[in-house]
Amino acid sequence: MTVELFLQTVVNATYAASYMALIAVGFVLIFGVMGVVNFAHGELYMAGAYVVVALYADQALPFFVAVAAGLVFVGLLGLLMELALFRPLRDNPLGGLIASIGFLLILQTIAVLGFGVRMENVPPSTQDKIVFLDGAVLTYQRLYVILAAVGLLTALWLFLRKSKFGWALRACAQDREAAVLQGMSINQTARLAMFIGAALAGVAGALTAPLVSPTPFMGHSVIVTAFIIIIVGGLGSLEGAVLVAILYAFVHTFVTTLYDGTLANIVGLLLMLAVLIVKPTGLFGAKERA
Amino acid sequence: MTKFQINRRDFLSTTAAATVMAGVSMPKLAFAADKVVKIGFLAPLTGAVAAWGKPGLDGCKIWADWVNADGGIKIGDDVYKVEFVAYDDEYDPSNARTGAVKLIKEDDVKFIMMLGGDPWPGAAPVAEKENMLVSTLLPSDLSPETKMLVAPCEVHPIYNVTGVEWLAENKPDLKTAVICAQDDSLGKPSVATYLAAFEAAGIEVLGDPIFFDPATTDFAPIMSKMLALKPDIICLDTCYADYVHPLTEQAFQQGFKGQMISCTADFYQKMVEKTSKEFMEGFIFQFPDFDDPKLNEPHVNFNKPNEFYAEYVKRFGEGEWGAVSWEYASIMDLWSDAAQRADSTDPEKVLEAMKVGGTGKQAFGEADWWGKELFGIDNALVGLWPVVVIKDGKAKIQDFKSIPAWWDKHKDLLIKHMEALDQMYYQRS
Repeated sequence: MTVELFLQTVVNATYAASYMALIAVGFVLIFGVMGVVNFAHGELYMAGAYVVVALYADQALPFFVAVAAGLVFVGLLGLLMELALFRPLRDNPLGGLIASIGFLLILQTIAVLGFGVRMENVPPSTQDKIVFLDGAVLTYQRLYVILAAVGLLTALWLFLRKSKFGWALRACAQDREAAVLQGMSINQTARLAMFIGAALAGVAGALTAPLVSPTPFMGHSVIVTAFIIIIVGGLGSLEGAVLVAILYAFVHTFVTTLYDGTLANIVGLLLMLAVLIVKPTGLFGAKERA
Repeated sequence: MTKFQINRRDFLSTTAAATVMAGVSMPKLAFAADKVVKIGFLAPLTGAVAAWGKPGLDGCKIWADWVNADGGIKIGDDVYKVEFVAYDDEYDPSNARTGAVKLIKEDDVKFIMMLGGDPWPGAAPVAEKENMLVSTLLPSDLSPETKMLVAPCEVHPIYNVTGVEWLAENKPDLKTAVICAQDDSLGKPSVATYLAAFEAAGIEVLGDPIFFDPATTDFAPIMSKMLALKPDIICLDTCYADYVHPLTEQAFQQGFKGQMISCTADFYQKMVEKTSKEFMEGFIFQFPDFDDPKLNEPHVNFNKPNEFYAEYVKRFGEGEWGAVSWEYASIMDLWSDAAQRADSTDPEKVLEAMKVGGTGKQAFGEADWWGKELFGIDNALVGLWPVVVIKDGKAKIQDFKSIPAWWDKHKDLLIKHMEALDQMYYQRS
């Protein structure tokens, strides 16, 4: 492997780790606080991308305005899910899972009816790029994803560690009943978790829209990767999700570049299998869901 | 508040006019629509492969409107209106099987058009049992057992040799290439074809072809791997549109300055928009826009190509035109002609009439029913195929080249590479 190819692969892996981390952390947050596996998480990512299609590609609004709208809109979709699906089924995790599958299909159908089945064309907001050592290339469009991931995940970490609402979220994730006994509102923390978790997926979709050509079915592929990441990282562990997203992205990208993508998928699944055998709770998971 | 009111005079005059119009048009309708022949359209209308199904159905709607407006098709003593019944197979074999059963048993279709590929094995047992005539765009579905399956329009992937042949003739300084394709029944025979075409043209293929997982969403690593070999030519094989676009964007973003060649470049205007006119200049592929003046050459059999394109763009938009927009319609030209000559819609009689004399009117010219050596059966209609190049942001036909002429010179190469990738009909399970 040449230095040039090595550097380009590092750049590619960093981008992949960034958007995977945004999606996986949102997924983990929803699971941690609400105890629900949100199968529609990939479609929340898709919804974020379609907000950019509608506002930036179709209506010519500034790219970052469309991205911000994607974040808010998908966050509100999360609130809707919490209110209409997960709250009535709070004591029925299987029911919540099935309801999320139904919501997934509804979101896909809305996208098909609204935009058609074809991939959408989202022009890049800029063609500028950074060239490292006259070889590796990082486009600004990809750089935005990396910067957003670092910024938003740092902000989330600070929020969870330093704010009262963050403490409430962590408390509910650790022991819901004890949190209620301390006077915390389950409904409020659930709303907060759903808004943040969905918004992270939405912003990932919005920022990557010019890079992936959105389709109504684009959520399928990311949800599989997100599953692998949260299982390896440990169900409910945000730090685990971030670290494993980085690990998975680097392993997957390097194996794809050096060998092929199919082998990379196999390696990813073997990694999950190995972790499940050696440490069934995941690398950063507690013995029971905290 | 706006109120919609109608007075008695308006009501009477409107009713009278409608009655007169109905009276005038009734005799023609009664003549034209005395019978209906239903044609099945079993192709992906949603999902990643929808780009090779939905635009074809749209083209068929125009074809049916034109034929029905002319009074229909006279078959034997009857005149038939044509009606398409569509079923979305989602490029999935089990859906294709369900669709084939529904179209044959419930809708009583007389002919089924498919994209082919992965869904064909699902529909094949049903079609065989019911003796239904089925068309595919992918002749790699053909085998000695598929006697009622024809590939009368597109001989994918064999026509890809014409693009490479033209490239070698017109840009002889380009000597090295890399190839990538999705790892599926569409990608592999196409890779074998490109390998044979490059070898025949004296172009070296660097490294092994890259087969990527169809679930791939980030194409940066694949393009980085290809560019590391420093090729003159990047060949995108028969990648789906969902892959051609991001791969092309990646080539642009990672600074590739050489030649690109691909089987398709559906919705290429979007690629021009996401890269640049300069980058896309010279991009070679195989599917023309039908407003191309070269399609008015006398050897072209497709009915009114420029008008068809204009109508398509009027109804669906310019950006919606794709590789298959015209293909299923051109198959209907063949079916209609054969049914009229057979005086029947019976699938076996239509097939017999279609293949009589061993030749047929393929969209781009006279062609031969061919394929015995490659598919084990002469059920592919093969002749001329266009080579298309993007010039100043617009696809332009550069030449029509003969597939049989290439085959006569290089068939051993193609069979060698097909065998190496287990793509010969006797190797497929």
